[in-house]
Amino acid sequence: MLKVAEVTKYYGDFLAVDNLSFEVKEGEIFGLLGANGAGKTTTFRMIMSLLEPDHGEITLDGKKIDYDTMEKVGFLTEERSLLTKMTVEEQILYYGRLKGMAEDVILKRLDELLERFGIWSYKKRKIKELSKGNQQKIQFISAIINEPKLLILDEPFTGLDPINVKKFKEEIFRLKEKGCMIIFSSHQMEHIEQFCEKLVLLVKGKVVLSGYLKDIKKEYQKMNIFIQGGVSKEELEKVPGVLKVVQVADEKQVKIQDESVIGDVFKVVKKYDTRKFVVEEASLNEIFIEKVGEVL
Amino acid sequence: MSSKFWYLTGESFKKKVRSKWFLIANIVLFVALLAVVNIDRIISYFGGDFSSQKEVMVLDQTGYAYETFRSNLDNIQSLLDIDYDMNITKREENVDALKEEISGTDTILIVLSSSDTAYLKASVISDSYIDTSFYQYLYQALSTTKMDIALSISNIDLEEYQKVTSDMEVERILLNEAQTSEEELMNTVMGVVFPTVILPFFILVIFLVQMIGSEINEEKASRSMEIIISNVSPKVHFFSKLVSSNAFVLLQAFLLIVYGAIALFLRSITGGSSLTGVVGESMGSIFTTLSDAGILSRLGIIIPLTLILLVLSFLAYSLVAGVLASMTVSMEDFQQIQTPIILICLLSYYLAIMSGMFQGSIVIRVLSYVPFLSCLLSPALLITNQITILDTVISIVILAIFNWAFLKYGLKIYKVGILNYSTDKMWHKIFRAAKKKGSL
Repeated sequence: MLKVAEVTKYYGDFLAVDNLSFEVKEGEIFGLLGANGAGKTTTFRMIMSLLEPDHGEITLDGKKIDYDTMEKVGFLTEERSLLTKMTVEEQILYYGRLKGMAEDVILKRLDELLERFGIWSYKKRKIKELSKGNQQKIQFISAIINEPKLLILDEPFTGLDPINVKKFKEEIFRLKEKGCMIIFSSHQMEHIEQFCEKLVLLVKGKVVLSGYLKDIKKEYQKMNIFIQGGVSKEELEKVPGVLKVVQVADEKQVKIQDESVIGDVFKVVKKYDTRKFVVEEASLNEIFIEKVGEVL
Repeated sequence: MSSKFWYLTGESFKKKVRSKWFLIANIVLFVALLAVVNIDRIISYFGGDFSSQKEVMVLDQTGYAYETFRSNLDNIQSLLDIDYDMNITKREENVDALKEEISGTDTILIVLSSSDTAYLKASVISDSYIDTSFYQYLYQALSTTKMDIALSISNIDLEEYQKVTSDMEVERILLNEAQTSEEELMNTVMGVVFPTVILPFFILVIFLVQMIGSEINEEKASRSMEIIISNVSPKVHFFSKLVSSNAFVLLQAFLLIVYGAIALFLRSITGGSSLTGVVGESMGSIFTTLSDAGILSRLGIIIPLTLILLVLSFLAYSLVAGVLASMTVSMEDFQQIQTPIILICLLSYYLAIMSGMFQGSIVIRVLSYVPFLSCLLSPALLITNQITILDTVISIVILAIFNWAFLKYGLKIYKVGILNYSTDKMWHKIFRAAKKKGSL
């Protein structure tokens, strides 16, 4: 289990991370969210032992993270951390050896992963000659070459087409099934919703939201109703508890205060010819925008 | 961690050696050394048609100078051990007719005429430029001819003339006999030390500084530094760069020696003289001088001390270059910041040259203790007997202490620097990192 306990980090007088705590258990995918400059990269760097926390402690399976435990950690950085003059094989060998792996083991696993991602023919090619998407695949392979126990993914889907996003997701779920702890960071909230059971939302280094995703959505209370039919926007806006009505093409999106408002909206809608009436919880994107907006 | 250190060091070393720039630089160095050592052969080989027959016409308007001039041409050839294939013809025609005749040819026309003020005047007329060495040869013969004519007219015999024109004889007497040996020794030794030790050292320092800077910058710019540093400590990473770069420089130094030896060997087999003969000619005189001055016996300690200073200095330069490179965020920044390092090395180079002109200078002696300057200055002063072995030992101790201190504080800066991607408050970050307590 990864345990981040009351961690605080200052850069001079600037408070980058304030009293952050969370846990990631085996086989769990954890979302670390935040706007730009929220302290995500600092948190990753502290987990990776690149920075020392000023206060608090980070442990993996009860032990402080050192260079030996780092051999079982994989890190995919937001920017491409590849030495582009190297070939794919040289690059993966280089990072694999730094993870303490034997050369033959690295090459065997590299072949498997290149095959799985459909880029086996690029093995001897220089990284700088590859497309952005293929470079991202190489970076992902370098992060998982050691079958990590803890995997940190910072914006893993950058530059990928939907087919390759699917391949990445399959690999991430495969690692989860094998018990890998995964910390996932992305600005695309739909990815977080797909992957993460638990999350933390940071704003200016402070935690503004944390816990299980389903609990967060439940506590948030606000919901959305998607309606297609003859009811007018003005009539819906008059219903008490309706916060906002937005017309998108032939559909109206009605944001309501909580689930008690659903019945009142339905009473108005049923007077008209209605083809669609779907109630959904608020999206993580809405929660993110509201929570971050409150603090900024 | 030890295996990761050797892996990083090996990879860094291999990367440098396998680089196409290493190959290109070494081909250029080899060809340049070959050319320098065999420059006279190359000039002779490509030097144009000076081996072909020279056609020279002489129009003697004085009526008495031709025979003397002809005889002097032969004498000078014999004196200078040169052998021009030359066809000289005495002509009687009009100057303009002869000018027309040589037009468009390689033939040279020499017109000798008398002069009231200078005994003899000459015109050398050709269609195009004359080979410089051949012109010098003609000029020498004409000058000697003029002198012969002047002596004859003035009724002065050659012996008398030589007495008048001979150099002033000054006998220099130094009561301290050792001084004459030292002066001779200094000139001889400095003439050899600079091209064989100081210049290569200067080139290698530039190599070293640029290599460390570019490698660290590449890893920083690509953000692969974060992956590397999460798996090995900054200390291991830094030492791997130091060891691989210094090993590379030593390899390059060795290759320079090999290229020099090959160039000398080629010279010996193409010129007929043996390798030992070529080297021995210059080295023999140095060893004789050193031996006469009693320095040869000290070389057993001078050479190891110099080598220690050079190795410690390579380390000092690479330490500084590595720490500075860690603080920069782009190769352009590093290129700017490396300029002072190169200038310091250059200062050391000039001070070593100037030490011969300002013997006994207290400033130069004090500067020989200063790290970065001591590498060239201290051995130069020691070899020329301006400082003692103890002074060089002091320079080594100061340099070792500097390296230790710079390593201690520089590593802290390096740890912060390699993950720093902003130039904001850079000096503040450097000082704060240096003051920070804790392990690496």
